[in-house]
Amino acid sequence: MMKTRSALIFGYNEFALEIADNIAHKYENITIFKFDDESKKRNGEKYSVASFDLSDNWDVLEKKFDMENSVIFCALLDDATNIFLTISLRASFANVSIISLAKDKESANKLTMAGASKVIPIVQTTASIISDMLKKPIVTEVLHNILYEKSNLKIAQVCVEQDTFFAGKHPYEVDWKNIYKIIVLFVLHEDMSSEFIYSSKASHHSIKNGDKLVVVGYEEDIKLFEQNVGSRYE
Amino acid sequence: MFSRFVLDVAYFLNTSKNYQNTKHFFYNLLENDNYRYKKYFDALMIMLVFISVIILIREVKSHVNDFLLYFNSYIISIIFFVEYMLRLWVSSSISEILIKRDEHDSMLGEPFGLRRAFFKILHIKFQYITTPRALIDILAIIPLFHELRFLRIFVLFRVSKLFRYIKSFQTFFSVLASKKFEFFTLLMFASMVIFVSSVLIYVMEANNPKSSINTLYDALYWSVVTISTVGYGDITPITDAGRFVAMVVITAGIAVLAFSTSLVVSAFSEKLDEIKETKTVDDITKLKSFYLICGYEDVAAEVAKSLSKEHKVIILDEDPLRVMRAIKDGFVALEYDPGSVESYKKLRIDIASQVKAILCLRESDVENVYTTLTVRSFNKDVYILSLLMQDIHRNKLSIAGASEILYAKELIGMIAKEFIGKPVAFEVIHALRSDYSQINIEEIVISERILKNFSRVDELDNVKYRVVLLGIYKKIQKQFFFNPIPNTLLEQGDYLLIIGNSVFIKEFEKYLHKKIV
Repeated sequence: MMKTRSALIFGYNEFALEIADNIAHKYENITIFKFDDESKKRNGEKYSVASFDLSDNWDVLEKKFDMENSVIFCALLDDATNIFLTISLRASFANVSIISLAKDKESANKLTMAGASKVIPIVQTTASIISDMLKKPIVTEVLHNILYEKSNLKIAQVCVEQDTFFAGKHPYEVDWKNIYKIIVLFVLHEDMSSEFIYSSKASHHSIKNGDKLVVVGYEEDIKLFEQNVGSRYE
Repeated sequence: MFSRFVLDVAYFLNTSKNYQNTKHFFYNLLENDNYRYKKYFDALMIMLVFISVIILIREVKSHVNDFLLYFNSYIISIIFFVEYMLRLWVSSSISEILIKRDEHDSMLGEPFGLRRAFFKILHIKFQYITTPRALIDILAIIPLFHELRFLRIFVLFRVSKLFRYIKSFQTFFSVLASKKFEFFTLLMFASMVIFVSSVLIYVMEANNPKSSINTLYDALYWSVVTISTVGYGDITPITDAGRFVAMVVITAGIAVLAFSTSLVVSAFSEKLDEIKETKTVDDITKLKSFYLICGYEDVAAEVAKSLSKEHKVIILDEDPLRVMRAIKDGFVALEYDPGSVESYKKLRIDIASQVKAILCLRESDVENVYTTLTVRSFNKDVYILSLLMQDIHRNKLSIAGASEILYAKELIGMIAKEFIGKPVAFEVIHALRSDYSQINIEEIVISERILKNFSRVDELDNVKYRVVLLGIYKKIQKQFFFNPIPNTLLEQGDYLLIIGNSVFIKEFEKYLHKKIV
């Protein structure tokens, strides 16, 4: 049987279904794993549903899915069970990307310690969106439009791979706005940490081949920029 | 003919805007605790009371300047008299009584009964005059007749006027009033003991030449001093029978003291929540702008924490445990049901001008729909943001009138998608929005002052301040323009979206406001 690039979602609840709906286009296969005490059946079941138990041997997953290129979501509603599940999966799969949901920040820290690659604290995330909507409505709208593709504005990471006129210059010295109609916000280091272009570190950094720039602009302008300087990673 | 004239005047006054506004102004000044200028008026009156008392004390043993005596006897008294008349005026509306009588008589087809209306007015005004507060007010005016020296002691009635101006006194007496029956019982008991013991001690001691109790008044004085547990010792019983009476009175005195102390304590502990609530409501009424959060569960707690850094936040929840949690977290919270119109009436707030937004953050769609509908039933415009727990209820919240609906599960789904699909954009935006990162994105509104200094985007000089101008939100077009062209005109109400170190953004904002062309 051919192994597929899959999204494995643990938890059979509305969070899991929303995640499945949002990532369906990215993965060849989406499997939802139902914990013992979760509801039996939901309306309009679109995804394959399997059962699991915390005592399961996770190595069997490797036989079925291409774990190197798959992603795991731990979306159980009980934080303690979710932490146990995350740590069990991390013990079996050292390199797979595990995204876990946590109720609050305390559980989020524990999930990170348990080996989750990314933790989404539900309460804090919801609250922070609400506060942002009230405190900075325009910023929130613009950022949402960028993030959720409601406008042509994009944020992308472009790697400088060709000889360009700005090689050797400091990022803030280049008139990105007028030449490429884009805005360069950050320079990425090799360890993926980012430096704002006006920060003191970045201002002492001269652009060279292999540098990664985080740019914001319209889709077509970013494409042009990327053709001129190198490759792109959205 | 005269009746017709009186009625015409009544209708004229009742419909005259100037008259009604003036009366309303004095009503607010004298009686409305929430009126912002009342505290100044009260402070002035308190000052006058103290001046009166100081003059009285000074006058006992020293000569007081004639002007001060004149000021005390006439000017202060006249001010109090004017205040008394104004209070009498605003206590009820004569014109309304006359109009009601006229309407009543017209309905029955009878001629206007001026006499009956007159008696009704007298009755209502008399009711006001005989209230304890009005009686104190009139007694406080009496020192006006300063020639009658013995009447000067009436100046002390002015001190009683303080009760009217200092709210804590009113609270104190209203609390004690709740134990009226208990205090009355105690008073009866104490009076009985005093009466019986006075008579007994008089009978036992009055005929003894060595005893200092010679009259019934001495006996009464001794009883009161003893039962109050003060016991000066200037009068003491010397006979065995008298001492026995003393022992009984002392024992009764301890009981009276203990009982009255426990009464005051229990009255206060019973009313403590009410007093605190009244104080909280008073404080809320004075706030200029705040967010009203309905329900205090996990999301609400986080939102309140975040908003309270820059804004006032008030929490309403009908659950006492959740309210206690909110208070413990340091917020102003009231145990009011957010789904009841009565709650908002009790708050005495003007939603349109004071409330920035109402946030329905209960983790129950039923409660949020109900609260949204409740608010919409008396205010169509206030911004209502509601949490949605199950997507099937979205349209119910829309119909109820929520301005913005936030469905947490969808949000988490979208975040998961972006994290998988666009890790760079996700991390950048997360960093920009996070309070913990140094690089922030802020919006700066174009004010009139900024417009005086700058008219076009290329004049802003943001590069000098090491901040990035991401774009401009044009208020008129209601549209965001990314990377605006240099000659884009700035207009009042537009927003600049600035990215940079928060310190530099603040500096840049200051520069925009300060620069003088």
